[in-house]
Amino acid sequence: MSAFGEQRIARRFASLRQQGRSGLVTFITAGDPDLGTSMDILRRLPGAGADLIELGMPFSDPMADGPAIQASSQRALRAGQTLRRTLGMVAAFRQADGETPIVLMGYYNPIYAYGATAFAADAKKAGVDGLIVVDLPPEEADELFLPATAVGLDLIFLAAPTTDEVRLPRVLASARSFLYYVSITGVTGTRAAAAEEVEAAVALIRQHTTLPIAVGFGIRTPEQAATVAATADAAVVGSALIGEIARSLGSDGGPHPKLVDRVAELVSALARGVRSAPVRGPAE
Amino acid sequence: MVRDFQSVIGTEAREQMLAAEGRLPDTLVACIGGGSNAIGLFHAFLDEPSVKMIGVEAAGRGVHTGEHCASLTAGRPGVLHGNRTYLLQDTDGQIVNGHSIAAGLDYPGVGPEHSWLRDSGRVAYVSVTDEEAMAAFELCARSEGIIPALEPAHALAHVARLAPTLPRDHLLLMNLCGRGDKDVFTAARHFGITL
Repeated sequence: MSAFGEQRIARRFASLRQQGRSGLVTFITAGDPDLGTSMDILRRLPGAGADLIELGMPFSDPMADGPAIQASSQRALRAGQTLRRTLGMVAAFRQADGETPIVLMGYYNPIYAYGATAFAADAKKAGVDGLIVVDLPPEEADELFLPATAVGLDLIFLAAPTTDEVRLPRVLASARSFLYYVSITGVTGTRAAAAEEVEAAVALIRQHTTLPIAVGFGIRTPEQAATVAATADAAVVGSALIGEIARSLGSDGGPHPKLVDRVAELVSALARGVRSAPVRGPAE
Repeated sequence: MVRDFQSVIGTEAREQMLAAEGRLPDTLVACIGGGSNAIGLFHAFLDEPSVKMIGVEAAGRGVHTGEHCASLTAGRPGVLHGNRTYLLQDTDGQIVNGHSIAAGLDYPGVGPEHSWLRDSGRVAYVSVTDEEAMAAFELCARSEGIIPALEPAHALAHVARLAPTLPRDHLLLMNLCGRGDKDVFTAARHFGITL
């Protein structure tokens, strides 16, 4: 365990505010296309410019994900990825990096099969900072929320364009670390939301919370990342990185020798995009 | 919500049975995929302790082969599509692809009310293989001139097992929840007939 064991997410967002810029959150699926390559990608992310890492826990039936992440989950599962291995990746990452926050993102059934309490404890021990469980709404989350909170793991909840002003406070009541705003009504990796829609949504959410807001779903290019970074506290990019992985696989499914470099280059380009957004004063 | 819409089946079956026989049925039989037609039939009778209920799941190539859709018979509790229910899954909680000759039964979970009715013992759940269902399909077509859908053919197969063991005045109500016109090509393939 690192000396920087606690509150990595809050400290990272505080540091971003001090720098007057928005953050880049990168999503990859753990174990895609195989454990070793995925580990190499994970280790390269902070140096390439990822401020916060979302690590996908592959699931057979990822209902919030589009084709790119569905395929990546299938690749990871075929390569033998399990929840235990995913936690092992985080523990290995933490040996060299005690500072970059890691949020695990996935679906509830594998956690339920693992045992919610045991999972929360093991995730914390591995060095995980937060959990996003897409199919666990706040009203149904207690059996994970309570053991997670008890060990100091934050559950991060989602809001979407369909989350109205009645529901938003209920979501925020359980939200910790940051709020994940799903910018479109649809699955990951499809269309991008219009800049003004995101701006209006973020402004509305800010009326209800001082939590940082990360915006995801549909952000593919450095330009789109820059646009989102101008309003939100972080831009999340997933399917575009996964797409780069998919493009760098041979016909036998094996990784191209440059796969990790290519993903890292894309992360750097996205980070430059995020950092090119207008400088903002530190939040009050 | 599914239950409430589907409950028309049970409400009408109850009225018609009372009109025709003057009493409630003794046993209800319905096939179970996601479980909508069955819960629709069962719902109007759940508070009648004299009425036995049997849900028939698809055993596909046999429950022991792993190629089946019998989540209540051979699954474990899990969470999928917003409900906690019996699921076909591996030890890591990954959902397993089921198999049934009847597309309508080919679902790895089951409506959660059935899980509750299973655990409470109110409804008995059994399973029927592809082979048994197809034999019942043929029997019904030949003896009644009715082509059943492959889904209720599973329920029919259980009725064929059960009926010979019951007294002659036993009222057995089975939900023939679909017609088999849609299934003639699957049936022909199964019986080795070229159409």
